[in-house]
Amino acid sequence: MKLPFSIFAALSLLATGSSWLETPSLAAPAATATATANATATSVASSIQKGAQEPNASEALLAQNLVRVTTTTQPYDFTRPWSKRAPLSRRALGAVLKGNRVLITAECAANATYIELETPDGERKQAARVVCVDYEANLALLQPESDDFLKDQPGLAFATPHIGDSLAVLQLEANGNLLSSKGQMTTAEVVRYPIDDTSLLVGRLNVSLQVRETVLSLPLLKDGNLAGLMLRYDSQSGLLDFIPATVVEHFINDSNKMPYEGFPRMGCSFAVTRDPQLRRFLDLHNSKGGVLITQILKDGPAEKAGVQKGDVLLEIAGNPIDSDGNYRDQDYGRISLGHLVSTKHFEGQLVKIRVSRAGKSLDLEVPVAHRRSEQYLSQPYIIDRAPRYYVLGGLILGELSRQYLKEFGGDWIHKAPLELVNIDRTQGEGAEERRKRVVVLTRVLPSNLTVGYEDLRHILVTAINGQPINSLDDIQVALEKPVNGLHKVELLGDPSVLFLDAKGVQAIGPELQRSYGLPALSRLE
Amino acid sequence: MQPRCLSLKSLSTLALFLGVASVTPLGPLSHFALLPERADAAEPSPIRKSLARIGNTSQDPNYRQPWLPGVTMSSSGTGWVVTKDRILTNAHVVSNARFLTLEKENDPKKYIATVEHIAHDCDLAILKVQDPTFFTGTIPLELGDIPEIESEVSVFGYPIGGERLSVTRGVVSRIDFRPYAHSGIDSHLTIQIDAAINPGNSGGPVLQKGKVVGVAFQGFSGDVAQNVGYMIPTPVIRRFLEDIKDGKYDRYMDLSITPFNTLNPAMRKGLGLPDDDKGVLISSVASAGVCAGYVKPGDVVLAIDGLAVASDGTVELEGERVQMAEVAERKFRGDSVRMTLLRARAKLEVTVPLNQAWPFAMQANQFDVKPTYVLFGGLLFQPLSRNLLNSVQFQNPRLTYFFEAFVPRELYKEHPEVVILSGILADPINTYLGEFKEGIVEEINGTPVRTLSDLADAFAKPAEFYVLRFVGNGRPLVLERTAVEAARERIRSRYGVQKEQFLEASIR
Repeated sequence: MKLPFSIFAALSLLATGSSWLETPSLAAPAATATATANATATSVASSIQKGAQEPNASEALLAQNLVRVTTTTQPYDFTRPWSKRAPLSRRALGAVLKGNRVLITAECAANATYIELETPDGERKQAARVVCVDYEANLALLQPESDDFLKDQPGLAFATPHIGDSLAVLQLEANGNLLSSKGQMTTAEVVRYPIDDTSLLVGRLNVSLQVRETVLSLPLLKDGNLAGLMLRYDSQSGLLDFIPATVVEHFINDSNKMPYEGFPRMGCSFAVTRDPQLRRFLDLHNSKGGVLITQILKDGPAEKAGVQKGDVLLEIAGNPIDSDGNYRDQDYGRISLGHLVSTKHFEGQLVKIRVSRAGKSLDLEVPVAHRRSEQYLSQPYIIDRAPRYYVLGGLILGELSRQYLKEFGGDWIHKAPLELVNIDRTQGEGAEERRKRVVVLTRVLPSNLTVGYEDLRHILVTAINGQPINSLDDIQVALEKPVNGLHKVELLGDPSVLFLDAKGVQAIGPELQRSYGLPALSRLE
Repeated sequence: MQPRCLSLKSLSTLALFLGVASVTPLGPLSHFALLPERADAAEPSPIRKSLARIGNTSQDPNYRQPWLPGVTMSSSGTGWVVTKDRILTNAHVVSNARFLTLEKENDPKKYIATVEHIAHDCDLAILKVQDPTFFTGTIPLELGDIPEIESEVSVFGYPIGGERLSVTRGVVSRIDFRPYAHSGIDSHLTIQIDAAINPGNSGGPVLQKGKVVGVAFQGFSGDVAQNVGYMIPTPVIRRFLEDIKDGKYDRYMDLSITPFNTLNPAMRKGLGLPDDDKGVLISSVASAGVCAGYVKPGDVVLAIDGLAVASDGTVELEGERVQMAEVAERKFRGDSVRMTLLRARAKLEVTVPLNQAWPFAMQANQFDVKPTYVLFGGLLFQPLSRNLLNSVQFQNPRLTYFFEAFVPRELYKEHPEVVILSGILADPINTYLGEFKEGIVEEINGTPVRTLSDLADAFAKPAEFYVLRFVGNGRPLVLERTAVEAARERIRSRYGVQKEQFLEASIR
């Protein structure tokens, strides 16, 4: 299922990124302009729609459980890893939860340098900090600096939204009045979240939304309880995707015990088995359901549990799995087993599964675990963390990540260098070697050491001075052993090798820093 | 020569213009077009008697439904008498030809011609004429040399804008190595002139002092650059004429190596080179090319055929600095080149026999070939090629990766042909197979699929199940023989498939 990107998507951090050598953050101001334009356009409409002139008592209570959130974010520029982009402001409407905390979507808090809360009436403001954030589930929990800032706000309880329910999307007018837009929940499905390696449950609402200035994160309520947070809204079709309370509650429960661990997975991929020809081939034609295990993550939970490629997964935690990979959920009916594994379980739990192998049924216990971004060869996201780099005599070396590839713009899959995209997409599939990271010569700062190398970019670095380079951490050690006063850099591409004068590399550092304004020649933390 | 592996983006740009130009005159969208079309005016010299307007009824293959014969189209260009009974023109004027006609000035007759030799890598072709009376009164035009920069030249031909012969005049602007748009992967010597060259001029002679100094062949449309036309100079024409003397065209020989400059002092020191600005590093050697076994990646080429190679990879040839590869370009199949190499700091002389052209035809625009395919259970399998990529808009970035990395990552070793599931003719037996579309076939029933023939052979072998594995997809594609047999006639008749496979040109 694909959703057309809403105006919010343009604002989403995960979608931003300008092409090489362009001035940074072009996407952001443009998107802000759109949001403002929308706000003016809809303000006329709102006066027509407004039913009650005075907010009634329950609405006042609701407004009590909302706070305006303004975040100032400053993402790193992955093409110039030593610098940050220009700061950018985002507005969100936070839902106050019990325990003095505020919930917003994580994309509002991504790379935040300053977060400020404001009461709906605009009377009080206070700085806040991020207590817990999960960029994969797109959820962030904030806490005001002092406990008494939210003391009059009791906090919202959760309500599980069901298909057919009427949900209210809350917004605040500039004057603090509540604007509540009602819509009906039409579907619930496990689909991709903004970090496109993550699939979790998404609810969908059919609603006509008058967009106010606070657009990035809006709470959804069911009978006065929190049913979810808006994920994206398409104004053309009037479809709003939201993160349902089920996912939010998992996040909150997980955040109560530190360290936060995140949504667990089994560490294997499966294929559907609806095709009768495939079922006969797998000898499944006398049975129903089950999915074929096609890939097993090395050292992942499934592998630890003894799951094998070719097994047919029949049951998870007592729930039969059908041939499409769905189970029957008590709230949402037939939905993907991904919800069962990730949202109904926590990291470290042993999940009982039943597989069929060579005609025999086998019971296994999978110690489900979250796969952190750092565990990928090419990290799917790097947020709140500075990109690592190493400037070697003018060669800018970095580590391949999807965050870096996204600097090539929304169509990065087709615009970024194919070799790098291929590694990111396959995560080094089939490669027996256990690389930790893929080190890339991203660009060259021309200097008298790099004559003849100026045009090199996006070439994989395999070794320096004969030492394999599996991450930037290997560089320093490799540089200790120059051969005949030269550093030999081996590359996968054209050229296959290049040399740098070892003494020159040491000597030129300060000059590079001065002429190119680099605060440091490397960042390896 | 140089830009063998252009990125796909630039590939498709070039290809697009090709298509436009062969159907219509230069449209507002075309940038870099080949020029077949129309005629005008007269020139009282004997030259006009030796010119012909070439009409080509061509048929481009249908890659989406390769069992269909393809759409016929008409286009026209110019040709000229090169020997007493042969016509020379551009390859793109007569590509994919089904029927060729020649028309002379002041002669109402249409003469039927056939292609005798066609060189897609340098965009030249030789035509024969069925009726020998065509050559009554014609004089073979004489070939001249490379004209001086700034000297005046005249372009003869039948471009858009009228029916009769047209002549335009201009000066030689520059002489350079430029890509030849027709094949999309070749670059040769090219002369830029500022005389107006328009669709239909293609194949026509460019004259100076009564001698042919080039053949007009490509240019930019007005919205990209003004007064930029290109002609194929006589060294390229002579090489072509020399090559076909033995009755067949052997194509340009290619060293299939990638050089990298040795300008950097540390690079020179590391490679053991003195400070003399000589020698170029070889960063890769295509293992299917002529240099395999003679040159290794990491070698430095110091000299080729006795000519010193500079640190930027150029040699001085007849007073001009040209890329080292040009030395091989000027030779023919069966010749050899001598190279002085530096390997592990020791000098080494090798003699490389030139016995094959660029071995990876799939990367070039191909003409006069029928697409190969296998249709089985409604699944259409085709080898990845530039022609296919130009015809079908694939979404899978892995296909682009396989196309681009084919040579640099030596993917051809495992996949001499990259066999892809390019389309599905919907039928009950393939209802659940949609996700495999655009996948690259890795193996069938446990046997690696290296070529389309491998796949066809496996399908021909009786088996209860045909189990196909695709690159990067853990799910097997399973077809039951009984189901395929039962669906066969149904699919054939429903989709009008005359023939279920064509393999002639497939690599074995």
